[in-house]
Amino acid sequence: MPREAEPSLNEKQFVIQALQENLRLDGRELDQYRPLELTFGDQYGVADVTLGNTRILAKATAEVTVPYADRPLDGIFTIATELSPMTSPAFEVNRPTETEVLLSRLLEKTVRRSGALDTESLCLVAGQKCWSVRVDVHALSHDGNLTDAACLAVVAALRHFRKPDTSMEGGRLTVYTPAEREPVPLSWLHSPFCVTWSFFGDEGELAVLDATWLEEQVRVGSCTISLNKHGEICQIAKLGGTPVDAVALLQCTNVALTKVKEFSDLVDQKLAEDLKRRDKGGFMAELRAENDR
Amino acid sequence: MPLDTSTYNLALLRVDGRRWNELRRVHAQIRTQAAADGSSYLEMGHTKVMCVVTGPSEPGPRRGGVAGGGSGGAGAGGAGGKAEVVVGIVIAGFSSVDRKRHGRGDKRTLELASTVANALAASLHTHLFPHSQINVSLHVLSQDGSLLAALINAATLACVDAGIPMTDYVAACTAGSTSTYAANDEGADPLLDLNHQEEQELPGLTVATLGESDRVAVLVCESRVQVSRLEGMLAVGVDGCKQMREILDRVVRDKGRRMIQEGTVEKGVGLDDMDVD
Amino acid sequence: MTATTAPEAALGVLPRSDGSAKYSHAGYTVTASVNGPIEAQRRDEHAYEAHVDVVVRPAAGVGGTRERHLESLLQSSLSQLILVKNFPRSLIQIVLQVEDSPENDYVNTKLVQASLNLAIMPALVQTAVLALLSAGVPMRATATATAIAIARQDGAQRIIVDPSPREIETGRSVHVLAFTSHGGLLLAESEGDFTVREWDEVYETARAICCRSAPAKDGMAMLLDDEATGGPDMRHFLRSTMESKVVADLHWK
Repeated sequence: MPREAEPSLNEKQFVIQALQENLRLDGRELDQYRPLELTFGDQYGVADVTLGNTRILAKATAEVTVPYADRPLDGIFTIATELSPMTSPAFEVNRPTETEVLLSRLLEKTVRRSGALDTESLCLVAGQKCWSVRVDVHALSHDGNLTDAACLAVVAALRHFRKPDTSMEGGRLTVYTPAEREPVPLSWLHSPFCVTWSFFGDEGELAVLDATWLEEQVRVGSCTISLNKHGEICQIAKLGGTPVDAVALLQCTNVALTKVKEFSDLVDQKLAEDLKRRDKGGFMAELRAENDR
Repeated sequence: MPLDTSTYNLALLRVDGRRWNELRRVHAQIRTQAAADGSSYLEMGHTKVMCVVTGPSEPGPRRGGVAGGGSGGAGAGGAGGKAEVVVGIVIAGFSSVDRKRHGRGDKRTLELASTVANALAASLHTHLFPHSQINVSLHVLSQDGSLLAALINAATLACVDAGIPMTDYVAACTAGSTSTYAANDEGADPLLDLNHQEEQELPGLTVATLGESDRVAVLVCESRVQVSRLEGMLAVGVDGCKQMREILDRVVRDKGRRMIQEGTVEKGVGLDDMDVD
Repeated sequence: MTATTAPEAALGVLPRSDGSAKYSHAGYTVTASVNGPIEAQRRDEHAYEAHVDVVVRPAAGVGGTRERHLESLLQSSLSQLILVKNFPRSLIQIVLQVEDSPENDYVNTKLVQASLNLAIMPALVQTAVLALLSAGVPMRATATATAIAIARQDGAQRIIVDPSPREIETGRSVHVLAFTSHGGLLLAESEGDFTVREWDEVYETARAICCRSAPAKDGMAMLLDDEATGGPDMRHFLRSTMESKVVADLHWK
């Protein structure tokens, strides 16, 4: 496992000095995100998020399983974040690094524990059958700010996802294949998004949004704030690092809220576009079905 | 086990009889392990934590700990000219009501360890010990809320005992709010130092500050809460951290005084300001 | 029913790896990254040659035995192509991420599938070769691969190139063949029941797809050629993809 190359002293100095003059290497404002792109796959539940050179692919799947014995009325919802050597050769298969653990905990707290997905709606037969929804997060390319991109991808994939339709008749559960019945969307309650601040300077006085990989390597601390557009905090994680003034953190939260609203609008808009695109296909399919008859 | 917090509004007393701004009883000791470089034992209410610090020493083979290097990523073996802080946390099976086995790869424990490591790394003068390692092992004996805060406090005390130069104490405590996330009631009171029951039911956060300043080293919130609640909770939390710092400082000074009285340490120039007897 | 769309590929899609490629054909989309030669871990180190590490990651779920099997097949084939002797004690790491695979609309997919999915193999081989080319890893030859199924339809044998999951399910056997650019057979994996004569037939079909000689200069002749054999011309595809990439890269000249 080769280690990630550290930036040289000159490089570090250059980045920090530039930031102190409110300049970033890619010409962005300190609180500006890189161009964010969100695309959906042909299948339901596939979201591809590109944030500058960072690229995340999230895929949601569902299958029928037995619920956990201690939670008979809940379905199962897991988010799998395994960083492969594709992300960086420093990541090894089957050996979670700290980055991976923190990313997976963060997504877990942001999306799962905040109750974004109604897990009770995944229950089919209490204690016997339930849906197990799983999101796989694949980091294809890592150029900083994996968390924000991954969180957006997970939320977009789950909102785009359709699970097979089911029906209960006299205690018999039928799961319809996509050919029999159009799949149905998940019961989604709210959309949380992560916003990560990176801190620079001796006192952590410079707060920067959406750090690139180089910036992440020289930062002195970071704070990830997860919010939804209703202004509810789902999670805050400033896990150590150089101490930052409490008032500055509050300010960061308020800026994060405006960013989250932008993300929320973006996802809504992209989902609507995708639905329109699919609907056209659905109409065509209907015509074809008629012709078949 | 649902808890009825609605009684709070009647007497303004919490389930364990505290007021909103009261800490639980904190009991702490340092130098509990004679053989260790630094050690401490800390109780915050019924949360009991033990900490042993080894080092700074030559980096040994990597064990199941999580490293937090100095600022800017973990450099293996302190290669970046800084000591590496390696934290391992063991949560005893008997520490909580339902006996649960915590495996080595438990992500929650790893996250706690990483947080403690990064918080300490920012306060310790790690640049004084290049190519070395500071090993912090934390043992959780009993859990009753505010676990992360107790871990950070215990680790700070043990580092002080080990004599590792540091900027200031990293003191931590939790703060909560009596409002649930759904209710946007303005009359919600902030609460200080949550116990397990309150932690389960109410939104809360863990804050750690550096010394007497308002600078926040750790801020962890794991529950859903209105953004407007944050300010109040943070203010109470930071205030609690200052109280906690006083308590930790007293523990260290008491121990120092006793050691001089007992003659284990010679009364030196640096200790003059400590009013002995 | 068969998704016989023309193959599509893009090179250098991932900015942070040494080489990468995205390839989609017959409903399969695979992204590959190649890093190498890089420092090998002690346990993977060979004194005389580079270790070729192949990781196949499914789109959903964790990789299991079937991914390990695919990895071992790819590993042994690709080590034959790469000039491993040039880089002793180093590692060439190939990560193949499956992004999309065709779904069978008639069956609800189970996440953990124990059965081998041979039909994905050509896409994996093709992507890996493209990514290796993009990373500039010296190779003895390039490779092309194809999947072929034999199905019985109305009592008659039928050979299906690039079968869909439905056709694999109803068919009798599935074959994957890969050829080097010198025309040698690199990989032959079969599943199901078939006779030797049927396999010969499959071999000829696959050979026609994978190893067609370079297209004639005349466009007309190429068109005729296509019609004569049917199916995509993999070797030509590989070549033209590389050519267009080189042209784009040397645009400034």
